[in-house]
Amino acid sequence: MANPLKLYLTCVRNTLEAALCLQNFPCQEVERHNKPEVELKTSPELLLNPVLICRNEAEKCLIETSINSLRISLKVKQADELENILAKKFLRFLSMRAEAFQVLRRKPVQGYDISFLITNYHCEEMQKQKLIDFIVQFMEDIDKEISELKMSVSTRGRLVASEFLKQFL
Amino acid sequence: MAGTEKLVEADHAEAIITRIEHKSRKIESLLKQNKPVEALKTALEGSPPMTRDERCKSANWIVVHRALMAIKDVEGMFSSLDPEYYDILMKYLYRGLSTGDRPTCDQCLRIHEKLTERAGLGCILRSLADTVNTLFPIIRVSCLAFLLGIIGADNQPKTYVEFTQA
Repeated sequence: MANPLKLYLTCVRNTLEAALCLQNFPCQEVERHNKPEVELKTSPELLLNPVLICRNEAEKCLIETSINSLRISLKVKQADELENILAKKFLRFLSMRAEAFQVLRRKPVQGYDISFLITNYHCEEMQKQKLIDFIVQFMEDIDKEISELKMSVSTRGRLVASEFLKQFL
Repeated sequence: MAGTEKLVEADHAEAIITRIEHKSRKIESLLKQNKPVEALKTALEGSPPMTRDERCKSANWIVVHRALMAIKDVEGMFSSLDPEYYDILMKYLYRGLSTGDRPTCDQCLRIHEKLTERAGLGCILRSLADTVNTLFPIIRVSCLAFLLGIIGADNQPKTYVEFTQA
């Protein structure tokens, strides 16, 4: 049986490949403005159906597309309280530096941990395949990162505790 | 004018629900005879196309869900399923993926991969772009419904018979 993580990532990759068909579309309401329609949601004819892909009860991925932009929101697996805190801090760290990532959104969508906003300008400057590879790689690596952080926290805690308690031996 | 339209739609909805009930019984019998692919075909066939009634959509989803979960051999299923059903199957797969229930999602992810290989990205794009015939109930903001949703129990009916008795 194929690895469920791999199936989930394949599904997200295929959906992104299909959904990342963006073109320039100036704002219909205000002249000389160009806004990402997926954020404003003013005209229903410019929006496609949002798609929610759940791997299980804890992890999910929401992909909303419009004519000139696409928003991907991820909820990462958080098994216990410690992972919850680590994930929140780590993803906040990344979101704060959203300028460097270009496709990252500064605030995640309500109910999710991190969001990406890809516009037609990003598709023009960067290769579509590479953008999709980046997102899927991110999803793969985030789990590893958080487990590594958790392990380093428990290792440090153990070292500190053993050093401290040595004096009572 | 609006009143008569609502009546017409209500009758139509009742007719659709009765049809779905018949379909559900047929599917149960097909599953007992170990024919999951035929069951899935029957489930996908009479999908109500342009109904806005949420009960019809949910009822049909339950029926399709039952048929989907009974499928064990995905490759074999595709060899006998006609291409005209690919689009509607893709829409139901996305509905299944949005539920969040682990076995449903596992099954839907498996079928999704094979379906994309077969039908290509166009199938996915058609299910994204079709805003007219959606399978998802339209969320009308209403305080009462919202509150009921928070307090309400989370048991999803497993078969259509339970749905009608609930």
